[in-house]
Amino acid sequence: MEQIFQSLTQFWEYTGFANCAWQNIVMIAIGIVFITLAIVKEWEPMLLVPIGFGMIVGNIPMFPGLNIGVYEDGSVLNTLYQGVKQGWYPPLIFLGIGAMTDFSALISQPRLILIGAAAQMGIFGAYLLALTFGFAPNEAGAIGIIGGADGPTAIFLSSKLAPDLMGAIAVSAYSYMALVPVIQKPVMLLLTTDKERRIRMPAPRQVSQREKIIFPVVGFLITAFIVPSGLPLLGMLFFGNLLKESGVTRRLAETARGPLIDVVTTLIGLTVGASTQADKFISIKSLGIFTLGLLSFIIATASGVLFVKVMNLFIKNPARKINPLIGNAGVSAVPDSARVSETVGREIDPGNHLLMHAMGPNVAGVIGSAVAAGILLSFLG
Amino acid sequence: MRRNIIIPIFLLLAAGTLQAQNVTDLIISEVLAEPDSTGILDDYGRRGGWIELYNTSQGTVNFGGCFLTDDRDNLRKSLIPKGDLRTKIGPRQTALFYASGNGLDGTFYAGVTLAPGSTVYLVSNDGRTIIDSLTVPPTLPQGKSVGKLAHDLRGQVFEVEPEPMVPSPGIANGDQNAATKAQVMAEKDPHGWTLTIVSVSVVFAALAILWGFFVLLFRLLANGEGAARKPRKKAAAGAVPPEVAAAIALALDMEDSGEVYAAIAAAVDLYLTDTVHDAEPFVITLRPSDSPWNEKSQMFRQLPK
Repeated sequence: MEQIFQSLTQFWEYTGFANCAWQNIVMIAIGIVFITLAIVKEWEPMLLVPIGFGMIVGNIPMFPGLNIGVYEDGSVLNTLYQGVKQGWYPPLIFLGIGAMTDFSALISQPRLILIGAAAQMGIFGAYLLALTFGFAPNEAGAIGIIGGADGPTAIFLSSKLAPDLMGAIAVSAYSYMALVPVIQKPVMLLLTTDKERRIRMPAPRQVSQREKIIFPVVGFLITAFIVPSGLPLLGMLFFGNLLKESGVTRRLAETARGPLIDVVTTLIGLTVGASTQADKFISIKSLGIFTLGLLSFIIATASGVLFVKVMNLFIKNPARKINPLIGNAGVSAVPDSARVSETVGREIDPGNHLLMHAMGPNVAGVIGSAVAAGILLSFLG
Repeated sequence: MRRNIIIPIFLLLAAGTLQAQNVTDLIISEVLAEPDSTGILDDYGRRGGWIELYNTSQGTVNFGGCFLTDDRDNLRKSLIPKGDLRTKIGPRQTALFYASGNGLDGTFYAGVTLAPGSTVYLVSNDGRTIIDSLTVPPTLPQGKSVGKLAHDLRGQVFEVEPEPMVPSPGIANGDQNAATKAQVMAEKDPHGWTLTIVSVSVVFAALAILWGFFVLLFRLLANGEGAARKPRKKAAAGAVPPEVAAAIALALDMEDSGEVYAAIAAAVDLYLTDTVHDAEPFVITLRPSDSPWNEKSQMFRQLPK
């Protein structure tokens, strides 16, 4: 009888109930909130469901040493987590993004590329703020990249610059990406006048297939020569796009934008979520990261909108004026931020469709954030 | 046929550039010929000279099968064993060989003896190609070593140090406690303004170049296409092209309805203004159709009657 009691006691020590701390409960609750938001509100469900469930997986209290935790060498989760830690999931996702992105909107109106550059101010604004808050330069760089509104880039850069902060940075980036409509709209309304919001832009011209094929090759050469450290992201992005546009590699492009990106997105979401183990995640630093992440999104949106207004000062022809509501799309949350431009634009003028115009700066933002990540890596890596 | 020739040529050219992460990335980074009383002891308790190799690349290099020698005329003097898993150097790491004069002492023992004035060669596994060499100056004091250091920003160009070095066997030469880039930035740019200004400029420059290029490209393409379409535009300004006129005349002969005129006018307008494009979707859809060939009853095995 006594032996049975001892065995049960020993078993109890191994259960989650015996090892549970309040931090685990908090993180599991956050995971459940993520899943709820994804299912009920349909906010970035492809990301929030895996991340939310990963948070639950990573925060099941356990007896250390069983070789099952994400931070225990050789465990299944640890093996899957290597794609995040070594930084090879993000480039694979970029391959898929490239294979599904149509750069026509950008090619037809090349001037919109500059909006994608302006919105990267969110990254550097957050970098400056993070330094002011006392973060080390490499940590500040990793936090700043949240402002690029690009989850894979944020994971890629933080895995190189500040691996300890990667969980918080990734969760912050994806959370705010899901909240793009909530964050960006007030900033856009605050910085634009009624008249500006009514600006109608001319229909973009038709882009030839030849231009579409030239774009990834030239785009890659120019950006990679300027910032070689962005090679993993830029190379994969433009390669994926070439697969799509070349017209002769349709099967490869379909795999890249279909099964491949789905598999990697599932794994990256789950493992990033699992990496938010309470003992490593709940800290003052994480709180600072979330605050700075929010600020970086606001700065990025404001920079994009204000930059369009500045551009309009130099455009004499009224018919060529740019609607500042597409400025927010300079962040690379594709296509969510472009959708925000469309929604806000139609609220004031139901016949004014801005989606295609906003896709220009939106895809430029993807390139811009990858370039910015490369620069930060070369300075701080 | 031409493609069959071109592709292998390209592959050969590419193979010629595949120099990274092989034994050519190794250098002899440091040599000690005559130790003093503080010199390191080998596994046999002997104090003697040693040779340090360094991997300059960012990948692991296996140097098993290479040779070390102090005789220019006998490049295969001391073989580094091939089968030892330890004959690998990680990126920017070192491997140390004791110059015991007998390579059979162990994997990391070279069958060479060192003295002031002697030259050590690292030879590739083909036994002919000298990868690197280092000469011990005749005037090198006892207990001092000769070595190579990279002073360039990339840390790739290694040069022999003119001054005798304090021996550092098995440790990469130079300052191993150099500040990281982040530490340097923290010191030089504590508020981050310099990095911010430079980075924003670079992002703008990169995307502005892209912008400029595509504006230029579009103009070039538009000019090219414009030149190609000139005859058609001339026809639009003056007379309708003969083939279109013939089609219209034929249609008018056959029909006398206003709808037909409208349809023809719209078609001609679309054709002449080039609004219609005929981009192919590159997709062929094969729809199943029933025929006696795929009729199931026809495919059943006929039982003998």
